Amino acid sequence: MLFRKSVRKRWLGVKYVVKLKLNDKEIEAEKGKTLLEIALENGFDIPHLCMLKNLYYGTSCRLCLVMTSRGKLIPSCYYRVSGDEEFIVDSPELREIRRVNFELILSYHKIECWLCNRKGNCKLMDISRKLGVEGLPVCSQCPLAPDECLLTKGILCLGMITLSGCDAECITSGGQCWGCRGPVTREDILERAFRRYKELGFDLNDVLFRAEIFWNSLKEFERIREVVEKVKGDDK
Amino acid sequence: MKAKGEVILWSLLDKCCEKCKHSKINPCPDYIECRVKGPLCHDDQKCKELRKKRIEELKYGVHGSKIRIPLSSCTLATGAEEIYNKFKEYILEKRLDTEITISGCFGLDYLDPWFEVIMKGYPAAIYVKVKGKDIPRILDEYFEKKDVSNAFALRYRTGKAKGEEKVPLLDEIDVWKKQRKWVSRNCGFINPESLEEYILSGGYSGLSRSLKMKPEEVIETILKSGLRGRGGAGFPTGLKWKITRTQPGNPKYVIANADEGDPGAFMNRLLAESDPFRIIEGLTIAGYSIGASHGYIFVRAEKPLMASRLKKAVEEARKYGLLGENILGSGFSFDIDVILSAGAFVCGEETAMLSAIEGKRAWPRQRPPYPAQQGLWGQPTAINNVETLAHVATIMSYGLEEFVKLGTEKTKGTKMFCVTGSVSRPGVYEVPVGVSIRYLVEELAGGAPEGSSIKAVQIGGPSGGCIPKDKFDLPIDYETLQSAGAIMGSGGIVVINDNNCMVDVAKFFLTFTSAESCGKCFPCRIGLRKLLDILDKITSGNGSEEDIIVLRQLANSVRNSSLCALGGTAPNPVLSTLRYFGDEYEAHIRDGVCPANVCKAFITYTIDQEVCIACGQCAMNCPVGAISKTSSGKYSVDYDRCIRCGTCFIICPVNAVQKVGKKEMVRGEVCG
Repeated sequence: MLFRKSVRKRWLGVKYVVKLKLNDKEIEAEKGKTLLEIALENGFDIPHLCMLKNLYYGTSCRLCLVMTSRGKLIPSCYYRVSGDEEFIVDSPELREIRRVNFELILSYHKIECWLCNRKGNCKLMDISRKLGVEGLPVCSQCPLAPDECLLTKGILCLGMITLSGCDAECITSGGQCWGCRGPVTREDILERAFRRYKELGFDLNDVLFRAEIFWNSLKEFERIREVVEKVKGDDK
Repeated sequence: MKAKGEVILWSLLDKCCEKCKHSKINPCPDYIECRVKGPLCHDDQKCKELRKKRIEELKYGVHGSKIRIPLSSCTLATGAEEIYNKFKEYILEKRLDTEITISGCFGLDYLDPWFEVIMKGYPAAIYVKVKGKDIPRILDEYFEKKDVSNAFALRYRTGKAKGEEKVPLLDEIDVWKKQRKWVSRNCGFINPESLEEYILSGGYSGLSRSLKMKPEEVIETILKSGLRGRGGAGFPTGLKWKITRTQPGNPKYVIANADEGDPGAFMNRLLAESDPFRIIEGLTIAGYSIGASHGYIFVRAEKPLMASRLKKAVEEARKYGLLGENILGSGFSFDIDVILSAGAFVCGEETAMLSAIEGKRAWPRQRPPYPAQQGLWGQPTAINNVETLAHVATIMSYGLEEFVKLGTEKTKGTKMFCVTGSVSRPGVYEVPVGVSIRYLVEELAGGAPEGSSIKAVQIGGPSGGCIPKDKFDLPIDYETLQSAGAIMGSGGIVVINDNNCMVDVAKFFLTFTSAESCGKCFPCRIGLRKLLDILDKITSGNGSEEDIIVLRQLANSVRNSSLCALGGTAPNPVLSTLRYFGDEYEAHIRDGVCPANVCKAFITYTIDQEVCIACGQCAMNCPVGAISKTSSGKYSVDYDRCIRCGTCFIICPVNAVQKVGKKEMVRGEVCG
C-alpha cells in the first residue's frame, strides 16, 4: 500500500469522519475540527469568551470546559477531535463550574457600562444572562450609545444603579429606568455610578428620592445611602 | 617535578601508553572500564601500576593526605568559605603537602559546616559543626598527634590512630544507618567538578553498558525496574520514553527539569551541586533510548552554584568525549545545553518550561497534546526530573535487581526527602518509598526540638497538603498521599509545630502561589486571589460561617478548572487544612479565638507584673510607644495603641511579656 488510509481518503476527496457522542446525542463530525465548533453547530450552547478563531487558542477563560468520559475537564475551544469519543457538554455540574469562573471574571471587571462602547452588544452580558449570573447594571442592556445617554440630556435614569436582566419595554426601547428590578449589589459599581451622577450635574438627593419609590423597603437601601454619603463627602 | 624517564599519569582519563587506541575521533567502547580496572586491550604490568597509582592519588591525595571541604549552597551559608581559607593559611604556615579538594553536601544539614580529613594509612575522619578558630587545633590533632577522638565519625578504620575506638563509623551512626543511599551515594564524598572521581566511584558505567544495548532494551530495563517520575506526578519513566520514542517526528528532545522552586525543597540542588555527572549520564541514557540528539538541562536561575556546577560538568564531559559526536564509539551523538530558567515558580511546570526554552514568556500550554507528542518546537520531548535521571544512571550502573528490592509494590526504589521546619535535624534524607511519615520526621529528622510538639507536616511544597499528626503512620507513596489530600511533589516536607496557626499556614502558601500564578487562566489568577482575600478576612476577625462554604467551593472549582498543575494543586493547602483542621477555622469565625495565638487580630500582649524586672527594654523598642511605666515601677501595655508587632515579646530578657488571646484578656479583666 503506497499511502496510509487517511491520506488516501483525503486524496479521494472524502472527508475523514469521526463519531462523537455529546451528552446523549450521537453525531458525526469532520476530523480536525474543534469540539466547540462541532457543539455549536449541533445546537449546544457553550459559552466562550477568549477564543478568537485562527488567532488565539490560549484557553484562558475556562468557560468552554467540557467533561471527557474519564471525568476530566478540558477546554472545548482548543480540543480537536481525532477519534470516536464521548463528552458531556452541558450538565448542572459543568454549569456550576462555568458560573464560578464567570463570576471570577466579572469580579475583576471594572464595570462602567454607561461609558462602554460595547453596550447593547456585550458578550459578558450575554454570557451572564445565559449562566444566570446577576450583577451588571441595566446600562449593559440599554440600546443607546454612551453619547446618546438620557443622562447627558438631563433626564434622570436609574439604569446605572439598577440590576439588569429584565426585558421590559422601557429599557429595551431606550426609555428611562425607574429601578423596579432592584439595586446593583456591588458597592464599587454603585460608587462609580453615583460619581457619574454627580459629574453630570444631578443632585444626589434627587437620585435617592427617585430610588426610594421602589427600594424604600429594601435592606440594601441603607448601604446605598452610605455610599451616597461617601461620594458626597469626597469634595470636602 | 617529573624525574627523568619516569612516566606520570596526570589524569585517570589519559592514555597510559602508545598502545591505547582510544582517541576522540575513534573512541574505544570500553573506555570507562579500562580507566578504572587498568588497561583492558593490552596486558602491561607497568600501565596497570600507573593506573593503580593514580587511583591511590585520587583517594588519598597526591602526597598522601587531603582535606575534603564541602562547598555547596548549604555549607557556604554556614561559613564554609572561611574554613576553606583557614585551611589554606594552615597549610602555608606548616608547609604541608596536603591537598584541599572540594566536595558536595552529604545531606545532614544540621551538621554544617563539616569537613573530612584523609591521610594514607590512617582513618578518614569527619568533623562537624566546626568553627574557623578550631581549624588549627583539629588539624594539629590529626596530622601531628594522629588523634581522631574529637571527630564526629570515621569513614573507615585502620586501627593506627589514637582514640579510634571511641568514634563510630559513619555507617554505624543512627541517622546514616536508617537511610538507604542510592542516588545520593556519592554526595559529599566526591569532587563534583572532577570527572575522574566520578568515574572512579563507578560512574558512567551505566552509560557504557546502555550504549552496548539497543535503545529498546534500555527502555525495557527501565520499564521493568518500575521507576516512576520523581518530579511529583509519578508517571512511569519507561512508559514516557516508550511513547516519545514511538511518536513520529524528528528530531526529538530530552529535557532535565532542575527548576526546583518549592519553599523547603532542595534535594535537586543537593544532587546537582554534589554529583552533577550522574544527572548528565542519566540524560545521555535518556537521549540514547528515545533517539534524541540534543538535550537541555533547565536550571533555576536563583541557584547559581547549581547552574555553574552543571555547566562545568557538561564542559568536562564534552572534553573527554562523553558528550558530543560518536560517544564511546557507539555512533550515537548527543549534546547538552544548560539553560537558566526565566525566574518564576511556574517555569517548573513542564509546558511552561517548554515555552521558556523556546524563548517565549513562560506560560503553560493546554494538554493534550502532551509534551511526549508535541513538546519543544512541536517535536516529541521527554521531560524528566533530575532525580529521575539520576535514578536511571544508578539503575543502569548497579543493575535493577537491587533497585527492585526497595520500595513498595507500586513504586519501586528510593526517594530523597527534605525535612525542614520545626525539627531538630533538618536535612535531606534518602529512604525507600513507602516508609511512614513518622519514620522520616521522628526517627531521621529527630522530631520536634525541645519545648514544642509537632502538629502537622506539609508535604509537597506550596501545592501539597497538610497531614495532621494522627496520620503520621501513613506510608509515603504517590497514591496514599493523594488520597490523604497532599501530593508527593518534589519531596519537600515542612514540619509545622503547635505554635503555628493552620489558617495562617494556608494563607502563607496561598500568598506564595497567588503571587507566582502566571496569569494566563482566570481560575488561577483571580480565584487564588479571592481565596487569599477570604483567608485574610478570617484571620483578621471578620469571617462569617458562609466563608468556609465559599472557600471550599471556590477551592474545588479552581482545582478542577485551572489550566496547569500550578492552579490545579495550589488550593490543596486550603482544602487539606479545611479537612483536618476545620475546628481552627471555626474557632476563628465563631469564637473569635486563634488557638495558636498567631493571628494578630485575636491576640494582645501583656506584661506579667511579678516577673517584670523593669529593665525598660520593651518600652525602648516599642515602635508605637504603647508600653509605659506604671506607678509600681514596672511596665504595662496600652492595648488600644498596641499594633501586636511582637517586638517586646522577642526582646524581653525574662519572658515577662506574654501572648494572650483577646477574649481571655477581656474575661480576666471582668473577673478581676
